[in-house]
Amino acid sequence: MATRASEIATGVPALSAERSVAWPKQTKARLSNGLEIILAESHTVPKFHGELFFRSGNAAVTDRAPGLAEMTSTVVRTGTSKRASRQIEEDLRRLGADLGSHAGSDTSAISFAGLSEFAEPLLGLVNELSRDAAFPEAEFERERRQKLEEVKLERTQPSFLAGERLRKVLFGAHPYGQVSPSEAQVAAYTREDLQTVYAEFYTPANALLLLVGDFEPQAMLKSAETILGNWTGKKPDPKPAPVPPNPRGRRVYLVHVPGAVQTQILVGCHAITRKNPDWVKLGLTNSLYGGAFNSRLVMNIREAKGYTYSPRSGVTALRQHGYFSVSAAVRNEVVAASLTEIFYELDRLRSVPVPEQELLDAQNYLSGVFSMGVATQAGLLAQFSTVALNELPDDYLETYRGKVRAITPEELLATARKYFDSANMQIVVVGDRTKIEDQSALFGEPEIFNAQGARL
Amino acid sequence: MKQLHVPIESTTLANGLKVVIAPDSTAPVVTIGVYYKIGFRLEPQGRSGFAHLFEHMMFQGSENAPKMQHIKLVNSSGGTLNGSTQYDVTNYFEAVPSNALERMLWLEADRMRALKVDDENLKNQRDVVKEEVRVNVMNQPYGGFPWLDMPPVAFRNWQNAHNFYGDFADLDAANLADVQAFFKTYYVPNNAVLLLLGDVRPDEGIALARKYFADIPKGAAPPFADPTEPAQTEERRGHVEEKFGTLPAMAIGYVIPERRTKDWCAMALLDQALHGGRAGRIHRELVLEKQIAVEAGGGVDDIFGYDGPSQMTTRILHKPEISAETTLAAFDEVIREVQEKGIDAGELEQLKVKWRSDYYATLEGGRGGGMPKYGLMHLLACFTLFDNEPQLVNSILDGFLTVTPEDIHAVAKKYLRNERRAIVIRTPVKGSVKEAA
Repeated sequence: MATRASEIATGVPALSAERSVAWPKQTKARLSNGLEIILAESHTVPKFHGELFFRSGNAAVTDRAPGLAEMTSTVVRTGTSKRASRQIEEDLRRLGADLGSHAGSDTSAISFAGLSEFAEPLLGLVNELSRDAAFPEAEFERERRQKLEEVKLERTQPSFLAGERLRKVLFGAHPYGQVSPSEAQVAAYTREDLQTVYAEFYTPANALLLLVGDFEPQAMLKSAETILGNWTGKKPDPKPAPVPPNPRGRRVYLVHVPGAVQTQILVGCHAITRKNPDWVKLGLTNSLYGGAFNSRLVMNIREAKGYTYSPRSGVTALRQHGYFSVSAAVRNEVVAASLTEIFYELDRLRSVPVPEQELLDAQNYLSGVFSMGVATQAGLLAQFSTVALNELPDDYLETYRGKVRAITPEELLATARKYFDSANMQIVVVGDRTKIEDQSALFGEPEIFNAQGARL
Repeated sequence: MKQLHVPIESTTLANGLKVVIAPDSTAPVVTIGVYYKIGFRLEPQGRSGFAHLFEHMMFQGSENAPKMQHIKLVNSSGGTLNGSTQYDVTNYFEAVPSNALERMLWLEADRMRALKVDDENLKNQRDVVKEEVRVNVMNQPYGGFPWLDMPPVAFRNWQNAHNFYGDFADLDAANLADVQAFFKTYYVPNNAVLLLLGDVRPDEGIALARKYFADIPKGAAPPFADPTEPAQTEERRGHVEEKFGTLPAMAIGYVIPERRTKDWCAMALLDQALHGGRAGRIHRELVLEKQIAVEAGGGVDDIFGYDGPSQMTTRILHKPEISAETTLAAFDEVIREVQEKGIDAGELEQLKVKWRSDYYATLEGGRGGGMPKYGLMHLLACFTLFDNEPQLVNSILDGFLTVTPEDIHAVAKKYLRNERRAIVIRTPVKGSVKEAA
């Protein structure tokens, strides 16, 4: 995209000297029952944030039923042997606390935040939920019926339909290929299925507790030991699934939504996990491509052409695999034009070295934004958990910015060539086939599905 | 009880620009905001959606930072940025490593001094805004429900009742002359506040604010349209179609008391009793106990951030086999109970603890999507523009923490009346749905 001569800022003040970023000290402990604990102080507000992770999620039980870990986590908060659902919710309010329980592909988690003055009772409740959940029959039934409505509803959202199709195309029979259960699968869930998942996953040996906030770490560690120290349970057996083949050739998948007034585009290919030594390089390459407002993709299809409001690209890291994807919701008339630009910008990064100044700008961006995590309790917790759950080196946070700054244009070119596999990129479009089928077919013979996932 | 005190320094420049600084050197990050006291409520008639379209234009180029340079200079300095158009304010903000503070002030001053945009920029952003409306409203199940569906039913004054995202015909009709006129009228230093939060010393911040903003000429005091609503004497109802979703939906909105009154504080806590998450009475009764709804929640949206007629709005998605009448009857039962019995002292104590905890969470991050101190910035800006009193951030909590059960009972009887409410029913066009009321 050409830059007009006038488009240069004049008189911009220089940056002053950068202040170093100091990540707060982490206090780490492992209790005799195997529970790993990480604590850090942050006194921004008189509160604290916590998250109790279990290193098993939906992928570990997809062979039993998709979404089973998520359903388990939902029902976990609805009752223990000591407290009924209503009591739990009122107690949370009494402590000024928020609590959520969720499961992703690779982890299940109870996340919470509350006032520091009530840290002990809140930890007590979290402890109860993680070892003494009662799965009351009536609560289970209600949540299951609720889930049935939710899975119907998500099939009306273009972004869900696009994401679901891409995951299926990229990961096939691997558990990562299944992002959500069908109505029939939800209808078949039993309370016993959930209790089995709970008994297997929710154990101290499988857990990581992170606490960040306005407290004194040694005192907090002592509270955690007192409350959680006598909990027992072993690690579940890992069940690695066979590696899915990387799809070859560019294929087009169209999800037909009659009456759609816009088309959701999602394009993707396999990438890497966070442990891969190329992770930081791919992060920077993505940032240049479509990971920032100032990126090439956004400047092209939004700021120059006005095809879309929020185009973006990203690398999603799962424990066993990862994938790269590009998304844009565009007006129906410019589906082909948008795909052309999406591939043009991918191929340009694969073909022509990035100018030094543009690289420097992207390095500044990534290292600046990365350090913002240090300013809030939730931000610190997110960064610490990423390092711990992915078993990254202890100095990962401290050395990250240096690694970003050391990347050269040649390395970036090599990274784009290796991972922006445009010839084998899978294309998903969600929209009204009568408006977009011809345009989509320019990129390959489309396979067409309805919103329920059936071939048309 | 540990109370939080935020150190605040503020001043007003000769051109009327207010400057507010909240220093905190915990992290080498500074959040910069510029708030203008004009939102979509008071945008010109015949130009629905213009305040928001204009916000997009503020990223399209200024005297010394042409198109794309603004975004580029923030990102390449290690920062993130955004802007948003709200009822009564429009904000522009960035969080950057603190070594970029001076550069950010230069940028914000450049676009306050002179917006430099052309027809091509306007056409480009009109297209972008249309895709924004499609992705958030027209191509989304329950898109714009109820924030866009409720105003035309609830209000009679165009300022409160129009389509805030904009009718496409109005967006198409907007021209460059409108852009420059709006800029000249409302984007004057005397209608704005500059906020600096985080790693900045107050003396340094004020000196830099003077350096970059002091020579921007003061404008005439902006004329504001009158948002006063005629008195409502009857319950209002409206119907809309849901194109994609399969569940029938309903929204009920009550006009709430004027801000910063005693009733307003009591209403805020009553709102928490009704809508405070899974313990809130509406969710508890409709979703957990009676199980007629899949989703029931809502409440007063951004209680500190508006300066005109506003509502407490409940949003309900209910099961297709349950009629709208049955759903509304269950909702009314919850309302009747608080009108008849109020809430007891024990419940009120819980609500106050949660309110205080939520307030701290707002100050630390709020709706900034990870941007540090977004919420503190927002509150300081609103208290400055609406009340000329940024220090309210440190005292506003007191009014909520002294509410009594009697106060709550009184506002329930006074404000939760049918003649103060409006109901919007959104009915799926497909699927088997019982006839709605």
